Amino acid sequence: MRELINLTKRNVKVYFSDKGMFFTSLITPIILLVLYATFLAGIYRDNFISIIPEGFKISDKLINSLVGGQLVSSLLSVSCITVAFTSNLLMVQDKVNNSIKDINVTPTSKFAIGLSYFASTFISTILVNVIVAIICFVYIYFQGWYMNINDVILILFDILILSLFGTALSSVVNYNLSSQGQITAVGTMVSAGYGFICGAYMPISSFNQTLQKILSFLPSTYATSLFRNHSLNGPFREMNRLNIPINIINEIKKGLDCKIIFFDNNVTIRIMYTILILSIIILTVLFFLMNKRRK
Amino acid sequence: MEGIIKIDNLTKSYGNIKAVNNLSFKVKKGELFSFLGINGAGKSTTINIICGELRKDSGTVLVCDQDVDCDDKYIKKKIGVVFQESLLDKSLTVYDNLKIKAALYNITGKDFIKRYDELSSLFDLKEIEKQPIRELSGGQRRRADIARAIIHNPEILILDEPTTGLDPGTRKKIWKVLNLLRKKQNLTIFLTTHYMEEAADSDYIVILDKGSIIAEGTPLELKNKYAYDMILIYNISEDEIKKLNKPYIRIRDGFKIEIKTLEEATELIIKNRNLFKDYEIVKGKMDDVFLNATGYDLEVE
Repeated sequence: MRELINLTKRNVKVYFSDKGMFFTSLITPIILLVLYATFLAGIYRDNFISIIPEGFKISDKLINSLVGGQLVSSLLSVSCITVAFTSNLLMVQDKVNNSIKDINVTPTSKFAIGLSYFASTFISTILVNVIVAIICFVYIYFQGWYMNINDVILILFDILILSLFGTALSSVVNYNLSSQGQITAVGTMVSAGYGFICGAYMPISSFNQTLQKILSFLPSTYATSLFRNHSLNGPFREMNRLNIPINIINEIKKGLDCKIIFFDNNVTIRIMYTILILSIIILTVLFFLMNKRRK
Repeated sequence: MEGIIKIDNLTKSYGNIKAVNNLSFKVKKGELFSFLGINGAGKSTTINIICGELRKDSGTVLVCDQDVDCDDKYIKKKIGVVFQESLLDKSLTVYDNLKIKAALYNITGKDFIKRYDELSSLFDLKEIEKQPIRELSGGQRRRADIARAIIHNPEILILDEPTTGLDPGTRKKIWKVLNLLRKKQNLTIFLTTHYMEEAADSDYIVILDKGSIIAEGTPLELKNKYAYDMILIYNISEDEIKKLNKPYIRIRDGFKIEIKTLEEATELIIKNRNLFKDYEIVKGKMDDVFLNATGYDLEVE
C-alpha cells in the first residue's frame, strides 16, 4: 500500500512539474473559451431571446446566466476528460523514455505500478477540475447567479464521476500505447474530437438524427447532460418563477441537451448516473484485468 | 569468496533467435565483474533476467542464493542498477528523485534524510540537489544516477555502460567513488562497458558473443591468452629491423614487433643487443583481448 501511495505521489508530482504536459491538457478547454468569447455566446444569447415568447420580459442577468451555465457545463465536461487523458499519458511516456525500467527494478509490484497511474490520473484530474469549477463559479457569479447549494454540490459530484470516467477510459485506451507517435495521435484525437462528440462545442440536439442516435450510445453524452442540467437548474427555476410557459422551458432544455431521448425514451438523471457508473465499473475492471496479465 | 550471482545453463530465445544460449558463470561477492560483448551479444537479456524483468526459458539464476523466479522482491532489494541513459524524472529535482525512489524501497522520513546525507557527501549532491535533472551536465546526472541506484544500500550494483559519453575526468571521479564503495561496503559491481581500460581493472571478465561465453578469466589470464605483448623499437632503420627476422609493423619513430612471451622478448634483446638501444615492452591490452576473442572491433557509442 505504501509503495502505491509513494508512486502515486511521484506521478502527480511529475504531471504538475511538466508544464508542457499540464498545459496540453488545458488546450481543449481554452479552445472552448475562445469559441464562446468570439461567437458561440452571441449565437446562444440570440437563440434564447428568440425562443422567449413576446410579452415575457427576461433580464440580461438571466440570459447571461443561461449562456454562462452552458459554457461552464461544456468546459467541465471536456476538461474532466482531456485532463485525465493527458495526465494518464505519463503511463505511456514512462514507457517511451524508459523511466518505467527504473521503477520496475524497485520491489514495487507491477499491479501497484499500474494502479498508481490510475490513482494519480484521478487525483490530478480532480485537482485541476475543482480549480476550473471554482473559476467557473466565480464567472457565473458575475454573469448571473441563480444556483443553490444543491446545484453546486451536484456539479462537484459530476466532476468526481466524470473524472473517474475519464481516468478509467484513458487508462484502458492508453494501456497498450508505447510510442511518442501514439501519444501524439491519441492526444490530438481526444483534444480535437471529444468536444464535438460530447456536445460541448455544439449541443447534440443540433446534429442530424442519425448522429444523435449514434451519440446516444456514448456515456459522454450523458456526462455533458448531467453538467448541463446542474449548471442550468438555477436559471430554469428562475424562468419558472417568472411564469414562462413550461413547454418553452422544456424546448430550451431539449435544445441544450438537458433532456436526452434514447429511442423515444426520456433518459432521466438517475439513468444518466447509472450509465456513467456502469461504464466506470466496466472500464476499471477491464484495466485491472489488463494489469493482472502484465509481467 | 562466495558466489553472489550464480547462473547455470541460462537460455533465452526471442522466436528463433537465441539471445542467451546455455550461459553459466558466477560472480563472487565484492568483486568487480565485467560482462563484455558487442551490442546484441546477450548482455542486456542476461541483466534483465537477473533483475527479474524478463523470464528465462531454462536454466537457473540465483542472486544472493535466491532463485529469481521465486522471490523477485527480495532480489530487487539486493540489486541497484545504473542504466545506460539517465532514467530519473527530468522535470524533478535531484532531491525529489532520490526521495521518491527511496520511498519505493520503504526508506522514508529520518531514514531517508540519513541516507541522503551519506550519498550527498559521497557524490557532492548538495550543490545540485535543487536543480531539475534536465538542467544537469552529463557528469552531474551520472552522479545522481549512481546515488539513486545505491539509495537502498544494495549488495550488487549493475552498471550498464555507466561512463559512456563522459569526459575522462568525470569517469575517473565516478570510478573513485565506486572503488570506495567496493572497499567500504564490499559492494559487488557487475559492469558492462565499451571502455576496455575500465574492464582491465576487473577481478573477472566474461566475454559474450551470440549469447554464449567465448572467453572468460582474470584480465591477466585473458591478456596472456588473447593479447600479445609487443616490443616497440625506436631510432632504428628498416634494414636493421629486418635482421631480427620477425614480422614488424612501422609506427611513428620506429617499429612494432609482436611477441608471444616475455621470455621470447628477453632472448631477442640479448641476441641483438646492438639493435635494442631505445625500446620498450608493452603488455597486451584489453582492446586486443576483445578484438582477438570476438573478432569484432569495439565501437563506443
